[in-house]
Amino acid sequence: MTLVLRFQIRLSYGRATFAPRTSSEQPRSIPQFRGLRVILADDDALNRTVTKKLLEKLGCEVTAVSSGFECLSALSSAENSVRLVVLDIQMPEMDGFEVATRIRKVRSRSWPLIIAVTASAEDNVWERCLQMGMNGMIRKPVLLQGMADELQRVLQRVGEGL
Amino acid sequence: MDILNQLQRQYTDFTALLYREGFVDDNFTQVQKLQDESSPDFVVEVVSLFFEDCEKLVNNMAEALEQQDVDFKQVDSHVHQLKGSSSSMGAARIKNVCIAFKTFCEAQNREGCLRCLQQVNHENTQLKTNLQALFTLERQIVANGGSIPVMQ
Repeated sequence: MTLVLRFQIRLSYGRATFAPRTSSEQPRSIPQFRGLRVILADDDALNRTVTKKLLEKLGCEVTAVSSGFECLSALSSAENSVRLVVLDIQMPEMDGFEVATRIRKVRSRSWPLIIAVTASAEDNVWERCLQMGMNGMIRKPVLLQGMADELQRVLQRVGEGL
Repeated sequence: MDILNQLQRQYTDFTALLYREGFVDDNFTQVQKLQDESSPDFVVEVVSLFFEDCEKLVNNMAEALEQQDVDFKQVDSHVHQLKGSSSSMGAARIKNVCIAFKTFCEAQNREGCLRCLQQVNHENTQLKTNLQALFTLERQIVANGGSIPVMQ
């Protein structure tokens, strides 16, 4: 049996119109993500800052770390409460694949959920992610809508018991 | 009222120019949209991080390219990092230079790499100047009691 998985990385293009800032400008945090505990691992300070803020905007509670080692230790000290790990694949020392492998050695496939973040445009990255026990993948640069969509998709699949 | 309108108009025009000329792209808009009351200086923080990153990487690349035996893999990994952060921040021109830069690294073309490095430096300086001007306008608008026009 083959699983056909499709995911869309949507690119949002701004439309150049101007309006005074209103309170509806702020993206609202989505109910199912509210309070979702996340560990974010990315070695680049800028990417880490932006992605963390983005996840917080969606309502998540984020712990940001800068390496695979820190990710594993944060996970073990947080015990059951961390629901999701967002993982940059291309980290020095220990890459995202290695981290995922180690997580899956001790934990089940649906907890914590793992979403990979990759700059790679290669097709087989997704396959590799799946093999390592990851649940989702998002391509850089990380956009709010793209992250929201992938989070939703991944959470839904868990709900379906897959 | 007049001065505020003028400032807001300047801001709008200047922002439009920055996008039109490709200095920044949608990812910069996203960074701006992420700023809120809980992190009122988010944009400035991100921009500062970027320029720190950029300068450090440029120095590393310059050093690597000065070597007798250039380690192009090393240069490429720096370029890759710069490409990533410029992309996240919406520094479109710099990101585009990085794309060309990567090609020269793969071709192990030292001259090409050096040209790209020069371009990165140039774009970096320009972007810094432009963003500083943008932030100054923002401060002036707020100081005059106005709100900053937002790009949709």
